[in-house]
Amino acid sequence: MTRTIEYRDALNEAMSEEMRRDERVFLLGEEVAEYDGAYKVSRGMLQEFGPKRVVDTPISESGFSGMAIGAAMLGLRPIVEFMSWSFSLVAADPILNNAPKMLYMSGGQFGCPIVIRGNDGAGGQLGSTHSWCVEGLYANVPGMKMVIPAFPADAKGLLKSAIRDDDPVFFLESERLLAYKDEVPEEEYLIPIGKALVRRPGTDCTLVSFGRPVHFCLEAAEELAREGISCEVIDGRTIRPLDIDTIVQSVKKTNYCVVVDQSWPFASPGAEIAAQVHAACFDDLDNAVGRVHSADVPTPYASELEQEYLPNARRICEAVRATTYNA
Amino acid sequence: MQTAIGTDHLDFSVPEPRNALTSKLGSDTTTSWLRDMMLIREFEVRTMQAYQDRKIGGFCHVYIGQEAVAVGTIAALEKKDPLVTAYRDHGHALARGMDPKYCMAEMYGRIGGCAKGKGGSMHMFDRINNLYGGHGIVGAQTPLGAGLAFGTKYIDEVIEKGRSNRVTLCFLGDGALNQGAFHEALNLAGLLELPVIYIVENNGYSMGTAIHRGTTMADSICEKARGYGIRACEIDGMDVLNVYDAMKPLVDEVRETGRPAFVDMRTYRFKGHSMSDPRKYRPREEEEVYESGDPIAKLRDTLMSQGAIDDAGFKALGKEIRLEVRDAMKWAEASPAPTPEEELYRDVYVEAWGPYTGTTEPQMIKECEGTHGQDG
Amino acid sequence: MSIELTMPRLSDTMETGTIIKWNVGVGDEVAAGDVVADIETDKATMEMQVFDDGVIAGLLVDPGNQVPVGTLIAVLAEEGESVEDVSLDSNGTSAAPAAPAAPAAAPPVESKSVSAPSAPRAATPGSGEKLKVSPVARRIASERGIDLVLLKGTGPGGRIIKRDVLGYEAAPAAAAPAQSITSPAPLTSGEEPLSGMRQTIARRLVESKTTIPHYQVSMSFDMESLVDIRAQVNERLAPQGRKVSVNDFIVKACALAISEHRYFNASFGGDRVHFHAGINIGVAIALPEERGGGLVVATIRDADRLPVGDIAVAARALAEKARTRGLSPEDMSDSTFTISNLGMFGVDHFTAIINPPNSAILACGAAIEQPVVRDGAIVPGVRMTATLSLDHRVIDGAMAARYLQTLKQLVEKPAMLLV
Repeated sequence: MTRTIEYRDALNEAMSEEMRRDERVFLLGEEVAEYDGAYKVSRGMLQEFGPKRVVDTPISESGFSGMAIGAAMLGLRPIVEFMSWSFSLVAADPILNNAPKMLYMSGGQFGCPIVIRGNDGAGGQLGSTHSWCVEGLYANVPGMKMVIPAFPADAKGLLKSAIRDDDPVFFLESERLLAYKDEVPEEEYLIPIGKALVRRPGTDCTLVSFGRPVHFCLEAAEELAREGISCEVIDGRTIRPLDIDTIVQSVKKTNYCVVVDQSWPFASPGAEIAAQVHAACFDDLDNAVGRVHSADVPTPYASELEQEYLPNARRICEAVRATTYNA
Repeated sequence: MQTAIGTDHLDFSVPEPRNALTSKLGSDTTTSWLRDMMLIREFEVRTMQAYQDRKIGGFCHVYIGQEAVAVGTIAALEKKDPLVTAYRDHGHALARGMDPKYCMAEMYGRIGGCAKGKGGSMHMFDRINNLYGGHGIVGAQTPLGAGLAFGTKYIDEVIEKGRSNRVTLCFLGDGALNQGAFHEALNLAGLLELPVIYIVENNGYSMGTAIHRGTTMADSICEKARGYGIRACEIDGMDVLNVYDAMKPLVDEVRETGRPAFVDMRTYRFKGHSMSDPRKYRPREEEEVYESGDPIAKLRDTLMSQGAIDDAGFKALGKEIRLEVRDAMKWAEASPAPTPEEELYRDVYVEAWGPYTGTTEPQMIKECEGTHGQDG
Repeated sequence: MSIELTMPRLSDTMETGTIIKWNVGVGDEVAAGDVVADIETDKATMEMQVFDDGVIAGLLVDPGNQVPVGTLIAVLAEEGESVEDVSLDSNGTSAAPAAPAAPAAAPPVESKSVSAPSAPRAATPGSGEKLKVSPVARRIASERGIDLVLLKGTGPGGRIIKRDVLGYEAAPAAAAPAQSITSPAPLTSGEEPLSGMRQTIARRLVESKTTIPHYQVSMSFDMESLVDIRAQVNERLAPQGRKVSVNDFIVKACALAISEHRYFNASFGGDRVHFHAGINIGVAIALPEERGGGLVVATIRDADRLPVGDIAVAARALAEKARTRGLSPEDMSDSTFTISNLGMFGVDHFTAIINPPNSAILACGAAIEQPVVRDGAIVPGVRMTATLSLDHRVIDGAMAARYLQTLKQLVEKPAMLLV
């Protein structure tokens, strides 16, 4: 049985279900309690779980994320909500220097089972400081996992898995997807971290993406299908661990690959995937892996500029045509 | 009319008369503190030697001169109370009960180290003794300290359905006073009423910068804590009896009230900031003044005047400790280096995936589990 | 000082060569200009001359082996050197004289040590550039036994991409002698590697057939007058041991017709048409089996200005050379229009594939005696059917028809051909 709910409600269900299941789980962050969540993701949770488990913090990302990490060292399972991953930069030391390294530095004594989640990427005309895609910056760090769901059902199943995971998980949502409605199963389910999904089967070109740009890819695939180019759209869902096997399997079939990544191009997950595809499928490629990223500039404010900045469907179509020699 | 945060209750009075509590403890306990301090001293002297012999790599900061702080504060704790500190952490690890051989082996980069040789001098961890690290980035441990206090309180109250009954000690140097993380941590501790005591081991220098050159109100840093609604006091950290006398009631009160506290612990490091510090920034005369107040000599004299120890006994204790540290060094030397095949990709993730091979506990935990179990 | 003989570049596009046979053995004396080997290039079997006097000290590549241009293939001892003095270093890659005083004999030369490192065949394009191939195209071609040299790359910079390989496979059988070298069918009873010429034919004709929009226009010619004139001419030439073929007349006729239809002497150039100065008629010549078979096109230059008798002499000389020593690159270059004639085999009519960069080729059948209607009566006549294959990018149907009309006038009233 399924019903249609919003992405934000899928997140809410995941957190609430896990908090009912495991008292070690709690939520903290800016406006998560009395405000009902800056984006209404934690709506109603204060009422259900009370202020000890749904904890409002001041605007103090370094402090409260570090605090959550200290609690996680005791075996608790904090969920840290960043209103935006753009604000995580001031918390870089705790989330990058402490959480992912604690297990290693302590020689296996202290893990850090924390989930850090929030909106990632451009919202709508938020300008350059509030439109960060942190995938490229953070996925570089060993010791953390990075999940970036594009659909409500995945958001729920993956967040539940993230909360149960013994390692730190960075969970990247999108402001632009929070109101996206889709079918979500009624019954309880988990989606494993590290498994990609073929979102749309195809034969002529593999499109790999994760997070919001998966939707751009599906849009592009629709248009390209009308031109006779059949795209296989792979929703990566997780950046670290990267499910390269699913990607490779598809590329071996299509012989073409275009990676769509909302990060900037330089040293990005898209670059990493391209490198891995080249290494794993060299003899199966008919062309170099194509890449579509956000433009290599600060995120602009003006709507026309922002739309062109994003890895939109038109840019994806152009990349697929070029890569498949149909330009 | 009442303000949100009163100021009248923010002073914490040091109990009078001096040694009111320690005088009741009996000389066995205080003699054991002498031993603890002498062990740290000898350990650190040998650490310097081993560093110069290139058996220890990287950055290395010794605790010589500050022994009374770790020994006196930790004596006031219960074993169940978490402790987290900065990078000058060997003294805390030993005072907390870590066998010196694991500590030395860690610095030697050997598999027998407390963190299998993966942490090094600045990152001592001991789960059994509730030591949540040595942390290398100045001030980084201060939010963690708030988090440990948040965590114990959460476990005690939400999971155990009882009342908060653990106190976290979070040590920091006076250099951390100027980091943003410290201020965020204090704000959170005050705001959320977390049972944590921030102990500034105020040795007067952040590396080579004298405290008044790096922070405002250097003579009254307690005011910074009071600004966050946290009770604060100054303690003379060069006298272990004094440290205990002041800390014990403070720890008890924090345990009782669940509210944070802050200590300006006045101390002095006799050596440089690190092994490569020529100490050009402070006059030799200043060092001599503090050296004349060596906390070990001070306690020795007290114990001798009480008849708890005589000269021969003190010498015998010194010899015993030298042998213990020598054995620790031999043990560290004999411990094998971690092999890349076994350890390079281990302990990165709890879960094994890709190149990562999951996690295992260090030798120290396997050897100590059950013998030093957590109390409480 | 010994002299190194390397695989010579014997055509403009040659990248590798195959030693067909050595005409000399170790110890043989040779003089500058001697032909020491027959070498098969991508276009033809060529003679390899030496440029110095000397004694053959070593032959490093066995007949049948293909090596890149520049590869050391033989060593010559100069005057004053003994063959034994000339040795190779241990790699066998460069010749160096042993010190005269050296008592020990140099190790014997192993020919394999040189022939082995020859470049992979697939990296040997006809274009003179390094072959660009996408990885999957290379893999598929390798799996299916397709020689990449035969393919035309349509990717950026001429890169051979997947569709080029698949398209080559899917091409209709008529297009390609190359079809026979796709993966062996289960019933094959054997296989033989393609000669360099065969590979070139395959590549060029696939390129022609797949990239040029071909179409055909046929016309039937009354050959009675021409056959008659030829008989008269040959009767007079016989004492000199000369004769003129029907094809020689057709060469002349085509050349004269071209002078009135300049698009038949042109090449397609993407955004323009290139017109050629001289009218050079290519004549297809089948090679004998013993020379490896195959097909070359010899060029009769300025055929519009040559008397038919001279055309006959030139054609005969070229055919003889092609069948014996092999044509030189000059003999085969610069044709502007090609004629393929299978009349001698009794073929009625057929169509031919354009020989790029020509825009047209004329396929001539036999001049056959058959009933014709003349003045309302059925009488015996001689007729020939000729079919033009045309590049539609250059020549339209009506243009082709007009050309054939001109040709028909010249062939059926052949007096003009003798002027």
